[in-house]
Amino acid sequence: MQAVITFRQFSFRYKNQSEPTLKNIHLEIARGEKIWIAGPSGSGKSTLAHCINGLIPFSYGGEMSGQLLLDGQDASGMTIFERSRRVGTILQNPDAQFVGQTVGEDVAFQLENEAAPQEAMKAAVSSALELVGMQAYEAQGPHELSGGQKQQVALAGVLSAQADILLFDEPLANLDPASGAKAMRLIDEIHRSQGKTVILIEHRVEDVLLEHIDRIVVMNEGEIAAMGTPDELLAAGVLPRYGLRQPLYLEALGHAGLPLTEFAGLTRPESVKQTEGGSEQPGPPGLSDLQLKERLEAWAASVPSVARGRLGDPLLELRGVSYAYEPGTNAVSDVSLIVRSGETVALLGSNGAGKSTLSGLITGLLKPATGEICLRGEVINGWSVRRRGEEIGYVMQHPHHMLTQHMVRDEVRIGLAARGVPEPEQERRTEEALQICGLYPYRNWPVSALSFGQKKRLSIAAILALQPKLMILDEPTAGQDYRHYTEFMEFIDRLAAEGMAFLFITHDMHLALEYADRAVVMAKGRVIAEDEVARILADGEITSRANLRETSLARFARAQGLASPSRFVEAFIAAEKKVKRA
Amino acid sequence: MSQASGLYVAGDSFFHRMDGAVKLILLLIWTVVTFLFMDLRVFAVMLAVGVSMLLLARVPFRKMALLFWALTIFTVVNSVFILLITPRFGTTLTESDTPLIPLGYDTVNTETLFYVLTLSFKYLTLLPITLLFIFTTHPSRFAASLHKLGVSYKLAYAVSIAFRYIPDLTKEFRTILNALQMRGLGISRGDGTLLQRARNLTQAVVPLLQSSLQHIESVSDAMDLRGFGTKPQRTWYMGKVMTEGDKLIALLCVILLAVGIWLKRSLFPGFWYPFG
Repeated sequence: MQAVITFRQFSFRYKNQSEPTLKNIHLEIARGEKIWIAGPSGSGKSTLAHCINGLIPFSYGGEMSGQLLLDGQDASGMTIFERSRRVGTILQNPDAQFVGQTVGEDVAFQLENEAAPQEAMKAAVSSALELVGMQAYEAQGPHELSGGQKQQVALAGVLSAQADILLFDEPLANLDPASGAKAMRLIDEIHRSQGKTVILIEHRVEDVLLEHIDRIVVMNEGEIAAMGTPDELLAAGVLPRYGLRQPLYLEALGHAGLPLTEFAGLTRPESVKQTEGGSEQPGPPGLSDLQLKERLEAWAASVPSVARGRLGDPLLELRGVSYAYEPGTNAVSDVSLIVRSGETVALLGSNGAGKSTLSGLITGLLKPATGEICLRGEVINGWSVRRRGEEIGYVMQHPHHMLTQHMVRDEVRIGLAARGVPEPEQERRTEEALQICGLYPYRNWPVSALSFGQKKRLSIAAILALQPKLMILDEPTAGQDYRHYTEFMEFIDRLAAEGMAFLFITHDMHLALEYADRAVVMAKGRVIAEDEVARILADGEITSRANLRETSLARFARAQGLASPSRFVEAFIAAEKKVKRA
Repeated sequence: MSQASGLYVAGDSFFHRMDGAVKLILLLIWTVVTFLFMDLRVFAVMLAVGVSMLLLARVPFRKMALLFWALTIFTVVNSVFILLITPRFGTTLTESDTPLIPLGYDTVNTETLFYVLTLSFKYLTLLPITLLFIFTTHPSRFAASLHKLGVSYKLAYAVSIAFRYIPDLTKEFRTILNALQMRGLGISRGDGTLLQRARNLTQAVVPLLQSSLQHIESVSDAMDLRGFGTKPQRTWYMGKVMTEGDKLIALLCVILLAVGIWLKRSLFPGFWYPFG
């Protein structure tokens, strides 16, 4: 069969860079294939996508060598318009790509640009919206839609234009787990029913593997580092070598001393099975299902639980807090929760569960309609945002919302100056905060020269210098690959070990699982559960009510018939901590 | 969260259905005609017509309140300044002088007071039709209309895209201000002197600019990828074909202009002062 996309000895260097970003790429993608391009950030995945959809060279110039064929024709001769008829791109940021005033207009955008007659547009838009299940939203504006819905609209937009290749650039980056799973399912349906070629660029491994993938292409430092079916690559343990995380249930098998080469069906926790007749490899040959179960049970029992430190006194306490943006509909209803000093708590919930409203209430940006917010037992309902900021630091998801200064050192100092801290003290605390965050060597750098991870740490340093007792981190790891994620969270873990209390606001269950002592789960404005994270995330009832996803560890444990899935999850966390501390 | 969206208020009145280009013509001609005159009788008639059109469109008053009060305050301030600075200005128009309110350095005369009243009515006459245009024209229909009137579609779409992203940027700006406020760099009363607070506000400008630039880059990528600007013409999903009714209104507008010019030359040539 003829390849729809062919790269031959393809290299590309951006015009303002000295090193090529893509090196010697050989890749053939067949019609109707579903390909996942994986790799750490900076590995060249997005650049590869730009080469396919024509943003390179149309918008981002540089030097290209080798060959790129689309449908067997040389792509370098095509205009971006011709390319857009073959390749439909769904970008990462669903807000920015929503260019129309309403859903209908946005879907029609490409047809408008092709000067299609209005009648034809109406028909194409309506059938594209039907494919993604959004007909009812035709007249809505972008502000009335969730992130997932905006993405569905973007997908309808490329479907209406009849492109054969669908290219998704990090489609899951801005979605909560439930919307992410829904997006993957929709992509899969479209792939099957429309016979499109699908190319996905992502680094959220477990989310991508929710649906069938034909082939994974792993990129690293501008080159294709590995290529193969998901089963092949998972069994060979290729992903962790390139800054991607194995699914947790496979890591658990590793902890239990079971080599992955003896298993098949690795892409889903329910389908993991031992290969028939064992293998020639050393190790336990051909365990029976029962033996496997016993092996896993024995492992789970053998890992000692992580001793939890002595719990401190209540630091922040919410008692029956409610808030409504519009009378009658509470965004937060009767929420009570406690964060003790030195404790790390994860506030879990899907988009729209009321997490941001709750953090607004804690920081004082919003005033509760009823209920009390206490700090060390003192009611602080009447405290200003400024005063609360001295005790409770809030770190936003995007560092660019927090960084305002030109120089790194000034960014930390300005908050101290605003609080009237005397000069020498300002100097001392600035240096200390920068030391802790590993930014001291960069103190005289311009902020803009820092990497994303460094900016993120700088935004923490700016808060840290104010010496709060509690830090609220909003989606601390969103959009970061596994290496940066781990680096950042290990840094946070060290701060926590030194006694800082943390409240993570997140829908990332792995984050909660591995770094929080306790989780509070919100759904529809209410707290529906509060317990140790392992127990919550192994409880299918709670996770489905909260529109979260049960951890794959628990699903695996259940599929294997283990007695206590939550014990299995706990053992995993303990084993991981041991590896990381080592 | 507050539903940030454009100014357009959905509805199905006569004016909502009217073609955007025709509405724009109506607004322009109305403005020209208003500026032709300095006659309270003309303005009273036009204002009455304008207000009844606005009522027909059923735009809720609370939506228009801000613009309404802004113009009212402007008009009042403007009038007060005219009265204080040139209390006898009316005389230059009527050649009569009826002292009314002594100011010490000078005296406000009836002529000037009446002049100020007429002027205020003139501004007020423009208000209903402007509100009508702003609140009943869907931004993308407006873009389509501009294009129809001969404006390049790239420019017309730029107008529409600005409407689209203003709420996003407003939200972004609020987020940045919140972050600053929590660090003690707020702009509310407890955050220092007026100067300090003003300085804090300026801190938000750089991050806002940076994220706008990023945003613009993504938006322009998104538009390029979907073929914007590659053809000399484009069509509009929301565009409307002019109906007979629309054409009739356009014709009426031209007649209004002609009648206005005729009235100006024959019946109401200058400042109307009934007490002279």
